[in-house]
Amino acid sequence: MQAAEAPAQAAPCRSCRAVEFLESSIGKKIMVALAGLFLCVFLLTHLAGNLILFLGGPAFDRYAQMLESNPLLPLAESGLVILFLIHIALAVRARLANMAARPVAYQVYKGKDARTPGSSTMALTGTLVLVFIIIHVATIKFQVGGAKGPDLFGHVTGWFHNPLYAGFYVVALIGVGLHLSHGVQSAFQTLGINHPRYTPMLKKLGAAFAILIALGFISIPIYFGFFNRAPATMQTNGSAMPIGPIGGAQ
Amino acid sequence: MNLTLKIWRQKDAQDQGGLVEYQVENVSTEMSFLEMLDVLNEQLVAKGQDAVAFDHDCREGICGMCSLMIDGQAHGPDKAATTCQLHMRRYKDGDTIVIEPFRAKAFPVVKDLVVDRSAFDRIQQAGGFVSVNTGNARDANGILIAHETAEKAMDAAACIGCGACVAACPNASAMLFVGAKVSQYALLPQGQPEREKRALSMRAAMDEEGFGHCTNEYECEAACPKGIKVSNIARLNREYLRATIVSD
Ligand code: HEM
Ligand code: FES
Repeated sequence: MQAAEAPAQAAPCRSCRAVEFLESSIGKKIMVALAGLFLCVFLLTHLAGNLILFLGGPAFDRYAQMLESNPLLPLAESGLVILFLIHIALAVRARLANMAARPVAYQVYKGKDARTPGSSTMALTGTLVLVFIIIHVATIKFQVGGAKGPDLFGHVTGWFHNPLYAGFYVVALIGVGLHLSHGVQSAFQTLGINHPRYTPMLKKLGAAFAILIALGFISIPIYFGFFNRAPATMQTNGSAMPIGPIGGAQ
Repeated sequence: MNLTLKIWRQKDAQDQGGLVEYQVENVSTEMSFLEMLDVLNEQLVAKGQDAVAFDHDCREGICGMCSLMIDGQAHGPDKAATTCQLHMRRYKDGDTIVIEPFRAKAFPVVKDLVVDRSAFDRIQQAGGFVSVNTGNARDANGILIAHETAEKAMDAAACIGCGACVAACPNASAMLFVGAKVSQYALLPQGQPEREKRALSMRAAMDEEGFGHCTNEYECEAACPKGIKVSNIARLNREYLRATIVSD
């Protein structure tokens, strides 16, 4: 075969090359992986912030105030929305292409046990996470419905007194854990990072991260929903030491 | 032993097709899976029926012609083996075996269990080669290649292009095949002059054929009769990303 017969020649310009990349199967997956990993960084900071709930009302409300008064918050929030949109739009497009790639299904499909519970449920857990995020943002950020406490701490913990709401959080967060159990290590492979020395480590890191995120977040609805149901306004935990830059400045 | 076979029968590409049940008797454990199908076909022909069409050639695991999804597993239950290397001692009397063609939009069924895998040829023709000007033969050791690198390139080159990776993939993705073909040249000095062009062209040809996107399920690696590793898929991702950035 002669090289001259190669069908797809190099794109004529830089921006065409970028479009070609984003339209390609590999390029789409690389963008899904990058957005997914950035979302993981968000999850980590979000978890750290939320665990302050355990320090009691004053500490949590100080943290919330610090976040809300930061002029960079709208910028960070827009970035987060863009990451979600990239991740979801490209993952859904890839998924649709994959469904089209096998129009006639097998009567029997068994495989050879390479798939994991996480890997075979990515679209399902992703959708669950999306539904969760919509409900979460609507109820917590935009305060739609719910027993409103006098402060954010009261509002959040008040919601968890509803066992249905707390239970939904637990289920959705197991979904997040499953999604990450495949997603994190898969993202490294998609980015081309695979090496006999590092890959086993990255797989363990992905599993550990998934467990940390899932258990870390789940602890909150479980604790405030089922173990500590004191009226929200009473939550003045004596151990609530001033923390963070604002607390320190007081 | 006696077996019940449920085999996908389909007259031609247009036909809807469906599973048809057959009984085969006196199957010896020494037979290969394809020989067992030969026995079935002799019985069918003797009864004046149409033989089951299936692909095969070398029957020793080197040509990549045989295929078959056997009980939902590409090339059957064995590890690192083709269907022609599968033996009936794997089965016992009274077993029921479901046999289907490899399924992908890019691998249309021709008849029964035979699918058209020329999509792989077209991907290969898009860049899976090195252009060498003919002339004097070069000295065999003129270009030094580290042993480890040569081993990796040879492992990738072990791909026989059977398409089991596509068949086993939940997304019907061809990334293991293309990863192997791109890797075998990307690793060697002879592949360097066309390195970027190859990655870009083979990726484009792959997508054009309608194969799916890789979601790293690794069923391909588990099904591959030649043990091609998914690290070749990571290399393809790297090569494509690199080519996108650095090539003119
Ligand atoms: C905090 C939220 C999320 C995080 C941290 C996250 C993270 C990830 C990561 C790291 C990957 C791996 C990328 C790769 O395989 O290369 C991934 C894949 C994926 N995500 Fe998400 N994701 C999130 C939310 C969502 C949502 C809301 C959806 C859909 C509605 C979704 C759908 C998917 C799908 C379909 C895939 C590809 C499946 C696959 O590769 O097997 N994700 N995600
Ligand atoms: S017939 Fe050649 S590999 Fe099976």
